[in-house]
Amino acid sequence: MKTTLKVNGTDHVLDVEPRRVLADVLRDDLGLTGTHLGCEHGVCGACSILMDGEPIRSCLVLAVQADGRSLRTVEGLTGPDGEPHPLQRAFSAEHALQCGFCTPGFLMVAAGAMDADPDLADHPEAMDHVVGSNICRCTGYGPIRRAVERAAQERRTA
Amino acid sequence: MEKWARREDERLLSGKGRYVADIHVPGCLDAAFVRSKVAHGVLRAVDCTAARDVPGVVGAWSAADLPDLPPVPYTLLAGLSTEEAVAGREWSALVKDRVRYPGEALAVVLGEDRYRAEDGVAEVTATIDPLPAVVTPSAALKDSVRLFDGMSNVVLRGEAGEPVDPAVWEGAAAVVEATYRQQLLMPSPMECRTVLAVPDGDRLTVWSGHQMPHRLRRELAALLGWSADRIRVVVPDTGGAFGSKSAAFPEFVAVAHLAVKLGRPVRWIEDRLESMLVATRGRGQDQRVRLAADADGRLLAYELSIDADVGAYPHLGAGLPMQTAWMAAGAYTTPHVHATLRSVLTNTMVTYPYRGAGRPEAAIAIERTMDLLARRLGMDPVELRRRNFIPPDAFPYETPVGRVYDSGNYAAALDLALETLDHDRWRAEQARRRTDPDALPLGIGISCYVERSGGEAGGLHEFGSLQVTEDGRITARCGAAPSGQGHETVFPALVAKFLGVPEAQVRLIEGDTDEQPEGLGSFASRSAQVDGALFQHLANLLIEEARTRAAGLWELPVDQVAWTDGSVHTAHNGSALMDLGELVKHTGPLRIEDRFETGQAFPFGAHAAVTEVDPDLGLVNILQLVTVDDCGVILNPAVVRGQAYGSALQGIGQALYEGMQFDDDGVPHVASGFLDYLLPTFTEVPPIEAKDTHTPSPNSPLGAKGAGESGCIGTPAAIANAVADALPAVDPELLQMPLTPDRILRALRASTHEEDVR
Amino acid sequence: MKPAPFDYAVPRTVAEAVAALGDTRRKAQVVAGGQSLILEMHLERVRPELVVDINRIPELDGMRVEGDELRVGALVRHAAFEPPDAVPGPLGTLLAQAVVNIAHPPIRSRGTMAGSYGWAHPASEWCAIGVALDATVELAGPDGARSVAARDYFLGPFRTARLPQELITAVRLPLLGENTGVGFIEHRRTHFCFAQVAVGTTLTVDDGVISDVRIALVNSADRPLRARAAEDALRGSELGALPAGPRVRDEHPFARAGRIAAEHDAAPLPEPFADVDHKRRIIAVLVARTLLQAANDRRARLAARQGDHR
Repeated sequence: MKTTLKVNGTDHVLDVEPRRVLADVLRDDLGLTGTHLGCEHGVCGACSILMDGEPIRSCLVLAVQADGRSLRTVEGLTGPDGEPHPLQRAFSAEHALQCGFCTPGFLMVAAGAMDADPDLADHPEAMDHVVGSNICRCTGYGPIRRAVERAAQERRTA
Repeated sequence: MEKWARREDERLLSGKGRYVADIHVPGCLDAAFVRSKVAHGVLRAVDCTAARDVPGVVGAWSAADLPDLPPVPYTLLAGLSTEEAVAGREWSALVKDRVRYPGEALAVVLGEDRYRAEDGVAEVTATIDPLPAVVTPSAALKDSVRLFDGMSNVVLRGEAGEPVDPAVWEGAAAVVEATYRQQLLMPSPMECRTVLAVPDGDRLTVWSGHQMPHRLRRELAALLGWSADRIRVVVPDTGGAFGSKSAAFPEFVAVAHLAVKLGRPVRWIEDRLESMLVATRGRGQDQRVRLAADADGRLLAYELSIDADVGAYPHLGAGLPMQTAWMAAGAYTTPHVHATLRSVLTNTMVTYPYRGAGRPEAAIAIERTMDLLARRLGMDPVELRRRNFIPPDAFPYETPVGRVYDSGNYAAALDLALETLDHDRWRAEQARRRTDPDALPLGIGISCYVERSGGEAGGLHEFGSLQVTEDGRITARCGAAPSGQGHETVFPALVAKFLGVPEAQVRLIEGDTDEQPEGLGSFASRSAQVDGALFQHLANLLIEEARTRAAGLWELPVDQVAWTDGSVHTAHNGSALMDLGELVKHTGPLRIEDRFETGQAFPFGAHAAVTEVDPDLGLVNILQLVTVDDCGVILNPAVVRGQAYGSALQGIGQALYEGMQFDDDGVPHVASGFLDYLLPTFTEVPPIEAKDTHTPSPNSPLGAKGAGESGCIGTPAAIANAVADALPAVDPELLQMPLTPDRILRALRASTHEEDVR
Repeated sequence: MKPAPFDYAVPRTVAEAVAALGDTRRKAQVVAGGQSLILEMHLERVRPELVVDINRIPELDGMRVEGDELRVGALVRHAAFEPPDAVPGPLGTLLAQAVVNIAHPPIRSRGTMAGSYGWAHPASEWCAIGVALDATVELAGPDGARSVAARDYFLGPFRTARLPQELITAVRLPLLGENTGVGFIEHRRTHFCFAQVAVGTTLTVDDGVISDVRIALVNSADRPLRARAAEDALRGSELGALPAGPRVRDEHPFARAGRIAAEHDAAPLPEPFADVDHKRRIIAVLVARTLLQAANDRRARLAARQGDHR
């Protein structure tokens, strides 16, 4: 089935089998392997990306459902000039990643929240919801929570 | 400040990490396995015919279709199994005639992609006559259901220490007894297991998220009947392991065999449902303890007996419970300690090291029992521990169960934990709440643990090299294989420090058996302790070699050549000076290789938790968690702290949330994946205050001990003790982990009934 | 865990969707948010032959107040209920309290209320609230549109009165008056699992007397439940003084209502870590606590209104 995906600003016209989930099409058809599959049933959140600015589990959306939608993956986080996103810097500074497998999912849920709410840093509950959206087995979550707050503060003061 | 705290970070934060599933190999086939839905049964027939006709399926095989398929290897490393245990108990990579655990592979299907392979799996039919399943040690011990006909389910009996003289128990002022269930846990790294086998001429390259690439190479070579040099194992980025990724699993055997047989690349990317059914489990012990003390609270004797459920095959972990027996003594000077164990086969996937690997079971048993004893004696649990700690001047200390602890200052760790917790303030709050009927009860729990790092005798060494090129760049190689521990950052920094060169000048290559021909890997919290010391040793050898070469070049005695900040120079006046790159230009290629061995180390610490229990709902809320860990000399504080947080999270998981549940027919209750088996999420986890003390290990030149398993070992008992402390009317033995709301309510009810009866 | 093959239809109108579903030769599933359907397909428990994707039907989107009801279109996502003022009055408060218990933001951005009604999981927060509040399910089928009261709609776990050829077009919920307070509490082992039990209540008080009370029991039977016996025990009684909370003592009428709900209304099914007895105990406690929460909510609401009048 002909499907057009706008991924990180670039249009891709693909012929996609309807049963293929978006995560697989991003990874296998477009080579965007930064989106990871950790559980394939919507719980762990490693596959989280943004669709029209909203966080979604890309394992729980069929690629054909994303036809015509605008998608953002971890590969689109870095600025056009190669400048790291505040979240990327903050995750590193706070040691909010170890093995890195869950990290793209956390980054994208947080990026969506920061874009939706420029004052995210003032809303601790909203930041809790961000970190409470996904599973990490390495960091104990505290560093991720600190990284999200650090990036949100930086965004606000910028 | 550097832009990135770790060298790994830039790629992992921008989607450029490369895990096995990310590697694109043209023509690669995906493997999917047909899995038994029953836990135990006789396999009558497997029919793959229909699967072979499914579009996109390249082949489908049962064991009968692959007569040359080798069995799953076993390991004698670290006493994890024994020849005696595995004798007569073959583990076929695909079931031949008997299913022994749910999910055991009946057939393998290769497809052009995973979708097609799974289409094929759906078309395979199997006939199994079910047998009764045994999933607990107590059920399996009866031997009324035998996993291997004519053979006992007990595959290993072990012992540490000497039996305690009955007179000791009889003469004691207080003796407490208890039983504990150490529930089966799933390690659950976010990346499940992976293997990609790519034939290339007469060689095979195997990519795998793995902790022991050299072992994998050795085992695969043996399976294929090849020399080891024909196999290259490469470990790319690995999405967590926690002990669960260090063997050659049944699926790996099938994938390597088929890749060679077909001459095509084949991969198996385990999905989460498979992982929950057939990845190795951790813990799994039924324990009985007895602890005696005199009237002053001085420990007299401790007895621990273990019935361990080691799973359906003894190949990988039958000997693992010995780790518990050897650590039974804990942090105390108890004169008599005796541990016995039976490893029992059950109809479950095998038990194998999971973060802590035998030490959590030991620490939880003694630390929960210390609180029982304190309660019996009417003594403060803190004071009871203080009276019995092995004092700092008693090291090296040989325990009655045969471990020689290298160094420790247990009281210092406990002091720091209590101070950080503000212990007295919480005790006052607890007293206040006990007078307020509407307040939620509050409890304080501590757990003082000792563990072991580095590995067991015969496995305390590592191989590595330092190579210098003409541009002065240094490449460090070793046999370790990280899965998130930041080796690329920590080890180059260490080498740079030893040599006095800028960090940027050093890079690390790990996890590639072509780059580093021999190695052991990353397990048992050994990388900092063993590989760190190895690099110090290699750096010293490099400096000596550089001085020797410079002496030759300058025609001076070696003792007149000195080394400072990455350069050789003449010792007295510095008239000649040459950096490493220049030296290589003048004297030729420079590569130092060696093997280095350290002793075992015994990290320790004190964890403290404050919990609040809602007695109407049974919910436990952790108000505060303090972890004080001592892993000797710390190489990178941020990395070590990260290990403390992460392992504490997993310790919280064991205490409150995680645990395999089984249906009556022995099938684990995991059909809804992570909606059934609950991992702790941010919502459940309190802020963790991680602190450290630093007691160097005399057994490693760096003084470093292992970090990384502390929370799994120290945290669970702290939480369980805190819950028990919040509910003084409840028999602590009813508070078995995970401390779920229903268990807590049941325990509360049982104690209310008891009071009613009185 | 990969979904098996299926045919895929993307209707642009309700009529097209109904036509697609009318092909009874194939086992069809409607996908809106897909957060249950695609999950179940991954878990290999649902294997549709046809998936009808209704996301491109504009007429199904949007929610609005119609008379004294809130009409929630089939494409309204869970997240739409998160802002406390998304829906007017106490109903908005109740929905906002409940919605944060539905998974987490990335699921709530896709999943829909109507989808929950379609799936009919006994642990669905929305379905129990709908049953307790007398919601109405709007269905479109080959023979036209019809409405089914929520109390008649749920037939068992994942079983409803919807015919295979019918599409849920909307769910209608009655608005709640300002003298009503609301409460919602969910009990579960971690943030990432379904409710072992959850309870939502509304409490309407006139002249100090409880004139109406609704108690929604989540995962307390094989279908969403309204605790009518417990409601009957409270209706008409005086509200009286409120405990400081959060615990409600055994002798308080709210606690009594909780016990009635647990023993007479609920018919829980056992689960790992939650046998029938455990669920009954939790139901009793949560009913009492949500009633207290609702009473406090009403009091706060009145106080705020009086403040406005000053």
